[in-house]
Amino acid sequence: MSHTVLVCDDAIFMRTMISDILTSAGFEVIGEAETGVQAVEKYQQLKPDLVTMDIVMPDMGGIDAVREICQGDPEAKVLMCSAMGQQALVVEAIQAGAKDFVVKPFQPSRVLEAVQRVLG
Amino acid sequence: MDHGRYAALFLSESREHIGACNQHLGLLERDPGSQEAVHALFRAMHTIKGMAAMMGYAHVTELAHRSENLLDLVRAGTVTADVALIRLLTEAVDELDRGIEEAATGHDQALDFSYVLERLDTLVGPESTGASPQAPGPASAPEPAPRRPRGDRSRPVRVTVRPGVMMPGARAALALNQASGLGEVTDVTPGAQEFQQEGFDGAFSFWIETDRADEVLEEAIRSVGDIDSVTIGDAARSQGPAAGGDAVQRAHNTIRVDLRRLDALMSHVGELVVARNRLVELAAGYAGTELEEVSGRINRLVNEVQAEVIATRMTPVWQVFDRFPRAVRDLARELGKQVSLTIEGGDIEVDRSLLDEIGDPILHLLRNAVDHGIEPGADRLQAGKPEEGRLVIRCSRERDSIVVIVEDDGRGIDRDVVLAKARETGVVDDEVEELTDALLLQVLGRSGFSTATKVTSVSGRGVGIDVVLTKIRALGGSAEIQSQVGRGTTFILRLPLTLVIFRALLARVCDERYVVPMAFVAETVEYNKATRAEVHGRDSLVLRDEVLATTDLRDIVGLDGADRSMRRPCVILEVGNRRSALLVDALIGQQEVVVEQFDPPSGMPRWVSGATILADGTPALILDAAALV
Repeated sequence: MSHTVLVCDDAIFMRTMISDILTSAGFEVIGEAETGVQAVEKYQQLKPDLVTMDIVMPDMGGIDAVREICQGDPEAKVLMCSAMGQQALVVEAIQAGAKDFVVKPFQPSRVLEAVQRVLG
Repeated sequence: MDHGRYAALFLSESREHIGACNQHLGLLERDPGSQEAVHALFRAMHTIKGMAAMMGYAHVTELAHRSENLLDLVRAGTVTADVALIRLLTEAVDELDRGIEEAATGHDQALDFSYVLERLDTLVGPESTGASPQAPGPASAPEPAPRRPRGDRSRPVRVTVRPGVMMPGARAALALNQASGLGEVTDVTPGAQEFQQEGFDGAFSFWIETDRADEVLEEAIRSVGDIDSVTIGDAARSQGPAAGGDAVQRAHNTIRVDLRRLDALMSHVGELVVARNRLVELAAGYAGTELEEVSGRINRLVNEVQAEVIATRMTPVWQVFDRFPRAVRDLARELGKQVSLTIEGGDIEVDRSLLDEIGDPILHLLRNAVDHGIEPGADRLQAGKPEEGRLVIRCSRERDSIVVIVEDDGRGIDRDVVLAKARETGVVDDEVEELTDALLLQVLGRSGFSTATKVTSVSGRGVGIDVVLTKIRALGGSAEIQSQVGRGTTFILRLPLTLVIFRALLARVCDERYVVPMAFVAETVEYNKATRAEVHGRDSLVLRDEVLATTDLRDIVGLDGADRSMRRPCVILEVGNRRSALLVDALIGQQEVVVEQFDPPSGMPRWVSGATILADGTPALILDAAALV
């Protein structure tokens, strides 16, 4: 059975790219969110095995979304998609419960490695 | 990767964000305090940056990144959104708009945003990565805190993240989370908040109280990936950070330092050098004593400190010169000319403070060359030259100075026109029939001298070469000019490597002491019956196969005391390929000289380039070697 994924990013471009990477590796993308609020809602609704989370999004950023998701489900597996220069925010996200991170621009292999680690 | 499809997505989505940017810039213009507008702009830039980075559009990424950094500062309240800032942002958005279209059609490589980037830098700081410039992390994994273990289950752990990975601090935070899942973690060194700093190198240690075996603990920590070494137990206390691997080869051992700190340090070193000079002079009166020994030691140490501080401040010239090509291109376009600029020797390093000062004078020379030197394309073709004008900047080291040559292949300076104008305005006597290079420089260096028949928007009104020459002299440098009609003009600027301290030769005439920068001293010889000669009615010195015109420093400074002895010391000055012999009464010795900053009074003689305080506390004038050869 393939793992299910929720992809959260405010850019269609990034959502498409991440979905492509994961789908081609056999994952099933069951939902997308473009704001932090949507991410929290869809997580509760879809209960995916994995969440990829952008940090900068309108209507609640990625870090607050991680915090809410992990408070509701301490077992949630969230992978942060960050950009260069955002280390402080990534550390904050990890302290809020994120399980790993990738830094844009990333290679597909980097994303899949991180996903493997997160899913164990 | 389906590049074409992503490129199309990139383009359409970026266009949307550019539209949003323009809309929010309008909002910001009406209400400069609008947080909503700033946040929206920040997000748009951030998103464009992320997409461009994924597409590999380096130039677009860079511009979006730096705009984002600026907006981050506005967001934080560090920078105010005033009219100038909004205008700059508007310009950045326009450039970005153009850039995404170019990039999406495969032309990112050809983009050049240096002009707008440079101005963003002035507000943000050139190397900002968007992170706060906090204290850096330690260079090696710190010893675990030396606390008494609570029981047998308590162990110290030392971890290093693989050097060179992105965000070592975030990786360390993941490792720490894993460890925390197995037991109680305490005494994290450096503190977990250090992990957020950009300078953190990924080496840390902590104590953990757990029932699990070392192997389990290590495996858990390593499971986060990119971990270089894990050392647990006594080994973590006694071994260095390299215990588990080659972590000593750290990715970066540099820290960022506020330039003002370096300036303050340099200024203290300057004062230290003056005090040291005084000490050495005083101690010379106590030969063989402990005082002499200590002063000798302090002397050497101060030399080392000075050399290190100067080395710290050295910056390659390209950091400032890189903006010139764009400026030249823009100007040439404005004037309907074609001009290319080549920069050679951009890696030559000079003191940061000097670099900041020479940018404008050199830019001025370049503007002059494009405006007046380089002919329109049609004229060039007619003269048998390539249509595109050529400007070259050549930088090189020459002893203790840097040489910057600014060369154009334009029409050259018409000496007859300059001479006529100079006679007319009384700058030169009527007897002068020919302008030598040296005389030409003198004439052009006169305040306000200009032969331009019309005022152009480029070179300005009445602001000529004199401003440049005055500036170069004020910096302790010298300038030369070579010009040939039809072939072009070359300016040769010689500048000290640092503004503040230089090595000098002290010379005496009558009771006064003068300072000659060592950068221009080739050697010292004796002037006597055997070496003197009269050539073309001029007093000269024969040095090996060379005949050098002499200049008596007494005549220059207007002092005449005791009889002029027939045997006098003589300083051979060398500026570029020009040499001359300067006669003095006595040579006192070499000394480090600290240039005192002051505004030159009007009417300051040409042969003075500055002033300093000597070891005994008395002031002395620094000679401008270029004016004496």
